[in-house]
Amino acid sequence: MTRLFPALLLAAATATPGPSSGGRDATDGVRAVVGAPRGGPVTASDLDARTKEVAALLRCPVCQGLSVADSPATMAMKMKAEVREMVAAGYDQDQVLAYFERSYGEFVRLKPPLRGVNWLVWFAPLMGLLVGGGVVAWALRGPKDGAPRTTTSAPLDVDALPEDPALVPYVLKVRELAYGWPAGVRPKAEPS
Amino acid sequence: MNRKVLGAGLALALPLLVILFANLGRDPHAVESPLIGHPAPPFSLSPVEGGPPVFLASLKGRPVVLNFWATWCIPCIEEHAALASAAERTGNDAQFLGVVYEDEAPQVQRFLEQHGKAYPSLLDGDGKTAIAYGVYGVPETYFIDTQGTIVAKFVGPLDPPTLEAHLALARGQKP
Repeated sequence: MTRLFPALLLAAATATPGPSSGGRDATDGVRAVVGAPRGGPVTASDLDARTKEVAALLRCPVCQGLSVADSPATMAMKMKAEVREMVAAGYDQDQVLAYFERSYGEFVRLKPPLRGVNWLVWFAPLMGLLVGGGVVAWALRGPKDGAPRTTTSAPLDVDALPEDPALVPYVLKVRELAYGWPAGVRPKAEPS
Repeated sequence: MNRKVLGAGLALALPLLVILFANLGRDPHAVESPLIGHPAPPFSLSPVEGGPPVFLASLKGRPVVLNFWATWCIPCIEEHAALASAAERTGNDAQFLGVVYEDEAPQVQRFLEQHGKAYPSLLDGDGKTAIAYGVYGVPETYFIDTQGTIVAKFVGPLDPPTLEAHLALARGQKP
């Protein structure tokens, strides 16, 4: 009996359809979300191209980074069929995207719209480029006092020794081998 | 100079590390449903065993547990017993409904004959209802309150305590 009673209630419920419970035979559930179609009728030849265009902007929810247009997954095929139906009914691109966004969230859009923190997604690379360019310009800047720009290849002090004492013997060895200086130390200049 | 480089490196790396550690343990695929707090999308779907379609709108006044599932989905099989026993226990206080996701009626009927059928499973052949609810995969369960508003969505197999807690939300009880 406990099983039968809910079943009876459900049977009663199915017999009296509510006003908002569309059969979804057309796109009436869609209309409740995004309003009446804003676009004009689409000709049969345009329908495929328009469907592909809009489906390419939707993320396939069961794939990794594929659009609904590109994915062979069953769910993507069903979403594509839904897009096609909406486009055929005259819904424009924004309305189709808004419909899917209502259920899946902004994640479903492959191109995030310019709003909220999404500005960062669009403009952070540009800002990074500007900041990076600034840093490079600062690093390459000339002397402040307008003195003639000296090249970075200023004569190297070949007698100087590194600060790190551990490196000193190696530097001296290199000088000995490279210049032939005894023990790596420049011989005293002989008076000419 | 080395200190400057180290400082700059830390300044760049620290925020990234903070973001990394703050989000460890979070499922990167989990996207919160934007439908929570909004009216449940209407549907009329036919039960798998035939008969008149079920209209969501006509169930107003009772909490609805809407479970998207499939026979090929192992976690769905795991949670089946919890859902069936909760449906039997709550009787007419709540309406449990299954929505079959990417599966065929004969398989579903065979499964329900084997594992027991406590509530109707509805066919969503064209996937429109799954799309309207923003289903990513199965099992996913939506809890709808007496006013027809989605109060919670649970992704993954439900165990009895989790199911009970979510059902309480749908009944309007504070968790």
